[in-house]
Amino acid sequence: MSIAWLRERMEQWADHPAIVWNDHPFLYRDLLARLQMWHQALDRHDVGTGQVVTIEGDYSPNAVSLLLALIERNTIVVPLTRSVAAQREEFLDIAEVQVVVSFDDDDRWRIERRARPVTNPLTCQLIERGHPGLVLFSSGSTGKSKAALHDFIPLLEKFQVPRHRRVTLTFLLLDHIGGINTLFYTLANGGTVVAVPSRDPDVVCRAIETHRAQTLPTSPTFLNLLLISEAYKRYDLSSLELITYGTEVMPESTLQRIHALFPNVQLLQTYGLSELGILRSKSRDSSSLWVKIGGEGFETKIVDGVLWIRARSAMLGYLNAPSPFDEEGWMNTQDVVEVDGEYIRILGRRSEIINVGGQKVYPAEVESVLLQMPNVKDVAVTGESNPITGQIVTARFNLFEPEDPNEFKRRVRAFCRERLAPYKIPVKIIITDDKQHSARFKKMRRSSP
Amino acid sequence: MPSLPISHTDLFQQVVASFRDVLEQSGRPVPETIDEQTILFGKGAPLDSLALVTMIVDLEQRLEEEYGITLTLADERAMSQRNSPFRTIRSLVDYLERLIAEESGRD
Repeated sequence: MSIAWLRERMEQWADHPAIVWNDHPFLYRDLLARLQMWHQALDRHDVGTGQVVTIEGDYSPNAVSLLLALIERNTIVVPLTRSVAAQREEFLDIAEVQVVVSFDDDDRWRIERRARPVTNPLTCQLIERGHPGLVLFSSGSTGKSKAALHDFIPLLEKFQVPRHRRVTLTFLLLDHIGGINTLFYTLANGGTVVAVPSRDPDVVCRAIETHRAQTLPTSPTFLNLLLISEAYKRYDLSSLELITYGTEVMPESTLQRIHALFPNVQLLQTYGLSELGILRSKSRDSSSLWVKIGGEGFETKIVDGVLWIRARSAMLGYLNAPSPFDEEGWMNTQDVVEVDGEYIRILGRRSEIINVGGQKVYPAEVESVLLQMPNVKDVAVTGESNPITGQIVTARFNLFEPEDPNEFKRRVRAFCRERLAPYKIPVKIIITDDKQHSARFKKMRRSSP
Repeated sequence: MPSLPISHTDLFQQVVASFRDVLEQSGRPVPETIDEQTILFGKGAPLDSLALVTMIVDLEQRLEEEYGITLTLADERAMSQRNSPFRTIRSLVDYLERLIAEESGRD
């Protein structure tokens, strides 16, 4: 049994709530009982070592205990959620899934077999090791989704070090490295995971109030929505001790506003990639974008201003793309960073940098300024090609109230003139009703058609 | 020749409006008179390349929003003209008329 240590831990806090799902707490004892139930059910259905199994569900007690059972049985787990429904068949094919267990809204499950042999050399390699595996699909916001295959054992190793017992709201789901990280951190320390049916700010704030959540792992996009919705005014969020943010660059202005609203809450930037796992991190302070990243099992280096990482918990590789690692196991994160001693500041993805007549513009910096304008709800900044300056800065706005486009443009430029260098000021200004973020609450910087 | 979806006078006024906007919004002085001879870009001109690009994109958006005319003003073709269409107000209005005539001829 590959995660005997985790089961022993869970037995220690048997009478403590492990998960809150549909506002109902489920104890560790209950999860362990369901785990036993799953082993019997999986025996009956002949699901065992080396098979590739999809879990279609979220943080329900049955889905979470199934995940644990599948790890104990050394299967390769492919968690999928409803947000990827459109790509479901494609993902099942890429991962060569043989068994699908799907959960409905009442946590009832259904098991389905697919006649599909495992042929992918990476998967075969993992099966030969006799280790459990995990397949995570990237969101594909910058191209096609890549399937990262992990050996579950090194991925879970770091959770053996005891840390804090916390009530944590789950923001990301099981199909995301951040969601997996939250779940196992919580279970390994006797904490409680609070699941929410949607990422609507009011739903999230209500859950924090009701279940006295201490930790909110989230994204800058969600924090911006929280500010816009003013949901924090309608609920008692005094239980919050820690807000972590990651997956994209935090606009300076959003961080300062959150810090002003929650002066006693620690704000911590996290850093992780589905290819590498989540690094340990430490923000210089709650109002700072400077962060120290690393921790046991991770090495970092900066090459030409770009962050590279080598991780013991790195994936074996992609199932559907060439390996991103060099011969020594380093991966180029494509994140451009500034360095100050031990601290770094993430400026943006290399591919998202806009080049205006040879000068670099980072979308996050411009967005951070534009978000401070009155009547601006959200904004996404991208580069668009132009024969005169190579690229131009384009900004797509969501507004609270409709505004005359020409008048709005004047306002944007006047606002930017005092705050940004001329080449960073948006040339193309578009007002749209389209949402600017993905199902995972990450900003989408679509380039124009 | 079919009539264009926008008159010469209106086109001139749109170009002037974009020019005036970009000067004002970038804190440049606005000349007392703006007419067809006013120089936009090149030697002795008030706009630098960034301001010119802003003006062009602004003009494209105005024509699309107010007249439903979709044009790409700055492209390889515009850049390779022997006489730059971006030199004066007149050269830009003339070039715009040519592009719009070609577009409407295609329908």
